[in-house]
Amino acid sequence: MKVLAFVLLTIALILEASLITIPFVFLGLLCLLVLSRRNWLFIFAFAFGLVLDLVTFKTLGASSAFFVIFLFLVLLYQSKFEIATNAFVFFASFLGSFGYLLLLGYNNNILLQAILSSIIGLLLFKSVQRFSKSLVI
Amino acid sequence: MQKRNFVSYFLIFLALSLIIFGASKIGLLKPLDSLGKGILSPFQALTYGTFAKITELGSNPQIEGLKAQNLALTKKLIDQSKLIADNKALRDQFQTQNPKSSNLIEADVIGAPAFIPGISVPETLILDRGESDGVKVGQAVVYEDNLIGQVVGTSLFSANVMLVTNPSLSFTAKTLITQSPGVIKGQGGEEMILDNVVLSDSLQKQDMVLTKGDVNASGLGLPPDLVVGKINAISKNPSDLFQKADVKSLIDFSKLTKVFVIVNY
Repeated sequence: MKVLAFVLLTIALILEASLITIPFVFLGLLCLLVLSRRNWLFIFAFAFGLVLDLVTFKTLGASSAFFVIFLFLVLLYQSKFEIATNAFVFFASFLGSFGYLLLLGYNNNILLQAILSSIIGLLLFKSVQRFSKSLVI
Repeated sequence: MQKRNFVSYFLIFLALSLIIFGASKIGLLKPLDSLGKGILSPFQALTYGTFAKITELGSNPQIEGLKAQNLALTKKLIDQSKLIADNKALRDQFQTQNPKSSNLIEADVIGAPAFIPGISVPETLILDRGESDGVKVGQAVVYEDNLIGQVVGTSLFSANVMLVTNPSLSFTAKTLITQSPGVIKGQGGEEMILDNVVLSDSLQKQDMVLTKGDVNASGLGLPPDLVVGKINAISKNPSDLFQKADVKSLIDFSKLTKVFVIVNY
């Protein structure tokens, strides 16, 4: 699972750093957390957030702090409710992406990008779910 | 997962993130930041270049050729207008090239973070040149004589450029034919407006908008007579204090792979 997480987040980082505003790293972290619920994802959130800030000229630590806080909120929510559902991933992706883009000062079609992010997040969730199941089998 | 387990992980990494954030804000991590960017910029350049080539695959070469021809003709038109103005003012016949090539350094675009092909256009660009090449905050970035944007952040080996269409960027400009001064304000997307033009001045559709020049004593800022774009529509209301015009750049920012920074004006 750690290898899968590393590969997925590295691809997401390359996409987000070079080309696209959609917060792929955040979506990757969210999907991995919903499926695995492991503590080591905080380490990934911290490390990938730092590299992302480095390559996108953001203040170092801003993305890391956002990722860590969001993962924590998701874990708090999962102690009361089920999180491995399409609806949760969709809304969490939307809210998280919207907050993230707003926080980092993007002002170009934020709402549209957040909607697109939630659709991508859902697709990513289903793909990772299938892939991780096939790995277990 | 035990609740207290993830709470301790959360607290540790949140504290680390906030410490780094604070240190970065006050500039303590600048050397580390520059080093990291220097290491990662070749990878960024490679991925950005690859994606740029992929997006060019679907474009029509004939249209691209016509666009390039249009740019060259516009440049000629502006050069000619400048020459006429010079003659009128009885200046010498020496034709100045703007900007001079000796003042430029070439830079590759290695990233355009706020960009989704087909949905949005870039608002910022990341270049592979930084402080070690003489790039400073405030310098203008051009392609031929078209203004692309202004450097707003630098590290040792890379620079962050805010495009002219970015809503956070505004600067003084003038029109080519009527010489009406105004303020260019980015509107996001591909839009810009020429605002604060007094009602007594005349604006013309299809007139070119040039920078008025706001270089400071240190040589930083936007030099005069760089092409900002072309006026597409004019909005003039007699009850308003000012008139404004919609301006569109002649450059397709999403296809830029190489630009030039004016390092010495």
